Amino acid sequence: MTDLLVWPILLPLLASLLALVFPRRGDWIGGMASLAVLISAAWLVHSVWDNGVIAVALGGWQPGLGIALRADGLSSVLLLMVAIVALTIGIYATRYFDNAVVRARFWPLWLLLLAALNALLLSGDVFNLYVTLELVGLTAVALGALGGSRDAIVAALRYLTIGLLGSMAFLAGVVVLYAAYGTLDMVALASVVEDRPATWVALMLMTLGLLVKSALFPMHFWLPPAHANAPAPVSAALSALVVKVAFYLVLRLWLDVFTVALHPATAWMLGLLGAVAVLWGSYRALRAPRLKLLAAYSTVAQLGYLFLFLPLLAGLPDGPAREAAFGAVVLFALTHGFAKSALFLGAGVIQQRAGHDRIEELGGTARALPVTTFVLALSGIALIGLPPSGTFLAKWQLLAAAVETGQWVWIPVVAVGSLLAGAYVFRVLGHAFAPGDRDGSALAAGREELPALALALVATVVLGLAAGGLWGFLDFAAMSPGGAR
Amino acid sequence: MLATTIIYGFAGICLFVLGLRGVLLHTTALARILALNVCGAGVFLLFVVLAYRGAGMTPDPVPHALVLTGIVVAVSATALALALARRLREIDHD
Amino acid sequence: MSELLWVLFDLVLAGLTVGLAWVAVATRELRRGVLLFVGLGLLLAVIWARLRAPDLALAEAAIGAGIAGALLIAALRDEIGVSAEPEDGYTASRRLVDLGAIGLLLALSWGLLDAFLLSDGVRLAEGVAERLGESGVINPVTAVLLNFRAYDTLLELAVVFAAVLGVLSVGPARPALEAGSLVLTGLVRWLVPILVVVAGYLLWVGAHAPGGAFQAGAMLAAVAVLLRLGGVAHAGLPGTAATRWLLVLGIGVFVIVGLSVMFADRAFLQYPGDIAGVLILVIEIAATLSIATALALAYLGGRPVGWEADCDSPQHRVNRGAADRGGDA
Repeated sequence: MTDLLVWPILLPLLASLLALVFPRRGDWIGGMASLAVLISAAWLVHSVWDNGVIAVALGGWQPGLGIALRADGLSSVLLLMVAIVALTIGIYATRYFDNAVVRARFWPLWLLLLAALNALLLSGDVFNLYVTLELVGLTAVALGALGGSRDAIVAALRYLTIGLLGSMAFLAGVVVLYAAYGTLDMVALASVVEDRPATWVALMLMTLGLLVKSALFPMHFWLPPAHANAPAPVSAALSALVVKVAFYLVLRLWLDVFTVALHPATAWMLGLLGAVAVLWGSYRALRAPRLKLLAAYSTVAQLGYLFLFLPLLAGLPDGPAREAAFGAVVLFALTHGFAKSALFLGAGVIQQRAGHDRIEELGGTARALPVTTFVLALSGIALIGLPPSGTFLAKWQLLAAAVETGQWVWIPVVAVGSLLAGAYVFRVLGHAFAPGDRDGSALAAGREELPALALALVATVVLGLAAGGLWGFLDFAAMSPGGAR
Repeated sequence: MLATTIIYGFAGICLFVLGLRGVLLHTTALARILALNVCGAGVFLLFVVLAYRGAGMTPDPVPHALVLTGIVVAVSATALALALARRLREIDHD
Repeated sequence: MSELLWVLFDLVLAGLTVGLAWVAVATRELRRGVLLFVGLGLLLAVIWARLRAPDLALAEAAIGAGIAGALLIAALRDEIGVSAEPEDGYTASRRLVDLGAIGLLLALSWGLLDAFLLSDGVRLAEGVAERLGESGVINPVTAVLLNFRAYDTLLELAVVFAAVLGVLSVGPARPALEAGSLVLTGLVRWLVPILVVVAGYLLWVGAHAPGGAFQAGAMLAAVAVLLRLGGVAHAGLPGTAATRWLLVLGIGVFVIVGLSVMFADRAFLQYPGDIAGVLILVIEIAATLSIATALALAYLGGRPVGWEADCDSPQHRVNRGAADRGGDA
């Protein structure tokens, strides 16, 4: 029964090995494995839906001595998002990388990244989390450098250095935790941590490491070059999934493990950084000369919103209002995952068709690539937060929580951030709809454009409609000590 | 607390901080990679200090295993970083 | 009296280590930095031995100082003739960093001090000792690495695999050195068989004494480094297809063993007690070969000649030149 926890990790791991040994079968191996991961993720969500939190003690040793894998509502929905987004990006990648040699480099790394993301989401042990963080980091860096241009290598090198620094800070936090409490298991830690200096220092070090990895302002500087210079399918995964799992860990540590040591002042500080990220990221996105750079800065801004939820969650007492806010932050993360990967894939299509992605020169795109232009518009709706996207509902809850807790200061931030997002989205669309010298016959669709369309539709329509179910699911299958959050 | 614990514990903290500072202040890739390795060595030293329980006692093997894992992870990351740095130099030379 | 001598010894060793690290990090001259770093690795190996971590002393000498040192020295050789101008525009303000560093030093000291006051000092030591008999091995570190926390080690092999995949995708390998002097080739001929035997011994002994797959793998990788220095271009690696299989062998065997016991109604990686020792040895042999292959490729610094010859169908071969220069078309 609990064995199903290992499949989302082992399937892509084994497929990665096969993709290296049989380099010419990469597309087939990668496709089958991504599909199998999706099935195992759906199965996992279904099982969590039926049973609540599920766990397995690997090696049969009790957690503490051994390592446990665990899945609750939060980790299983994120796992499902990773599986869907990865499968869709994988389909696009078979078209994007038209050179078989580059595809042979892509697949083993890509499948390994998928295994790493799933391993991170399911891990129940803080040292094991460090290993998964490193695995995610190294595969992401190697994938980001696949383009091979000078800019890509420089960005990858910086991404690697900064990422390693973040992991080291995280590991230093793990040392302090093990020194104080003698265990590495997260559930065991949650029941023994006390509100005292050792805990504060550990929490500070781990959070610092994760903030670097989730690119919260002012530690965001590595993200735009890394995400803008990677090949489009990789950029999509970096923005939609890789930074997202670092945020997931912040959420997990703060809400489930260090609950007793969580002081409103700390949450406020992260909220303030999030607010600056929203404004700064949106502003830079508005000024970005290239579509992929715009998408990357927009990621900085959207991650800022996620951090805005922390002071609200810290300020709300357990109850329906807090559950609503918690559901909203997850919905926001999911919607951004789908919308941003759609935007990057659309940018990839435009870049390959036009030979560039300079926003000023997008004229004629709407006529030449109507489907991709529609994708830009749909993902734009989700980034701004217009109905019926998931972001709309999430922002609504964010504002409601701000009113409820009296933290009025976040309201103008959300308002200005949304206006700026509207401005950068319409700037792109304005240029795309402008007349241009593209010939109108380049109607593509198929494996090139449909993956992005599917992702954009999930972000704008499906998540908006399915949000109610999400809230119920998260509430039912929560891992925190008190049951519901 | 044992004197040994305090002495090597403080040394570990120093290595960690020195390495961190080095990464932030250096500009060349190779120097940063060196500093990262020093930073890691500091954390590993802290783990081993935790494991040490005095002359007459068997040490806790768990931190030793964690550090072994950490050393291998560090060398892997170093290898990737050096390969990227070399590629960059090649591009600049062409 | 001897207590005091030990404290003095600890003070000198710790002080030397911190001093060496300081200079290694502060120096602007990369050659000196790298050499000091290798020295630092050797000092750390002494510290591990002093703190009763012989497994780590071996690993540090073989991997931390040995292989990492070889990688860094090879990188130094590439650096010759390159101006030391910054590659990366970003630098933080020195004063701010110093302030942050002091703050971090104080915070970490405070946190650890509090942690030590809080803890009973036993942690998981007793738990491991109690269950050691069921692990299939006698060396407690091997028991943690390959049984209690075997999953960590599986992912660690995946990290090694990820790094080597990255190295292979970044660019072609360094050109080989021309055949070395007679003295060097003679030395290599003597050392290689000795190192192979030592690697085999370390692997075997890991079950009950310090040693194991990682130390043994590093020894085998040292063979590759020596061969390369002696002028052997392929560094002892077999052909492309065989090398690919060697790379995936460790993880493959690990997962297959883990799944086989799972299909026998146990948890993933829950070895049956009576054959645990054998299974661990099988996993370790496979892991040793994969680690050695990965480290050898890392030392080559990129794709060996002919690595991607079989990646594409014949009609695409023409494009390979472009791909080798890293373009994704």
